Amino acid sequence: MTPQPSITGVESVVFYRDPMAALRWLERAFGFETNLLVTDDQGQVAHATMAAGPTTLGVGGEWASPELLGPAALVSPASLEGRGTQFVRIRLADGIDAHCERARAAGARIVQEPEDQFYGDRTYRVLDPEGHVWNFNQPLADVSTGEMEQRSGLTIRTSL
Amino acid sequence: MPDDHTRPSFASAVCYQDPKAALKWLEAAFAFEPFMVITMPNGDLAHSEMRFGDGVVMVGSEWNESTKSPASIGGKTTQTVHVHLTEDIDAHCDRARKAGAVIEMEPADQFYGDRSYRARDPEGHIWTFSQTVKAMTREEWDKAGGTVTTDRL
Repeated sequence: MTPQPSITGVESVVFYRDPMAALRWLERAFGFETNLLVTDDQGQVAHATMAAGPTTLGVGGEWASPELLGPAALVSPASLEGRGTQFVRIRLADGIDAHCERARAAGARIVQEPEDQFYGDRTYRVLDPEGHVWNFNQPLADVSTGEMEQRSGLTIRTSL
Repeated sequence: MPDDHTRPSFASAVCYQDPKAALKWLEAAFAFEPFMVITMPNGDLAHSEMRFGDGVVMVGSEWNESTKSPASIGGKTTQTVHVHLTEDIDAHCDRARKAGAVIEMEPADQFYGDRSYRARDPEGHIWTFSQTVKAMTREEWDKAGGTVTTDRL
């Protein structure tokens, strides 16, 4: 049961009402690049992946199937009054403030402006047009666990 | 970019009504390993991360009005996680089933050369596991699946 030794060992798939528009927007706003686009005979997105630096993400349309999913349904936050059940965090090597400005210029709603965090990262949080939450972080400094605890008043362990 | 195990380049955050129970369950069912658990002075979970190979999953609570477990919104989910295995996908599925996962799709060979199964966890998150069993070219899977694959929009 060895996990695949690859940066893509775990990958998120993000669901949209309009996945083709989402692919275009994610390219423009965040600089992701579509690297696999599988369409069906109607020209609809069957499966798509994007590269975000060394990371791969899946982008798909809403779907449900009692046979393949049981009672679950995969939907956009736009169909859930903006609610989401998962979100994505992506690390940037540099340029986080410029990344945020690029996203804002593309129409992203910045819900947390870039700011330095107690754990040594600078982060910002953004909503895409269908309401998915994206967290971007850029490491600025190495902070020891003890120092993080001191700064935040939190307790940090390696298991429950 | 330096190799930095404590801050992976990518992580999926998955929201639960009971994130502490989820941490235990994900370890038992899927063999994810906890490596960072941050608690607040009142003992509530503030943040946690689990590893599987070089993948990272963050396990969190419903920390605001727009962050919900599928269990709170009728089983709907806005993102899913895919996990790649290199071997023993059938054994991985059996382990998950024993821990109480609902297997929505039993392990089966797919037209694109992977063997995959899909599981639903106790709060309704959907997890897809896959193992490549036959390396295929795009031309081969397009022919098998009736799809058109390109690398640009």
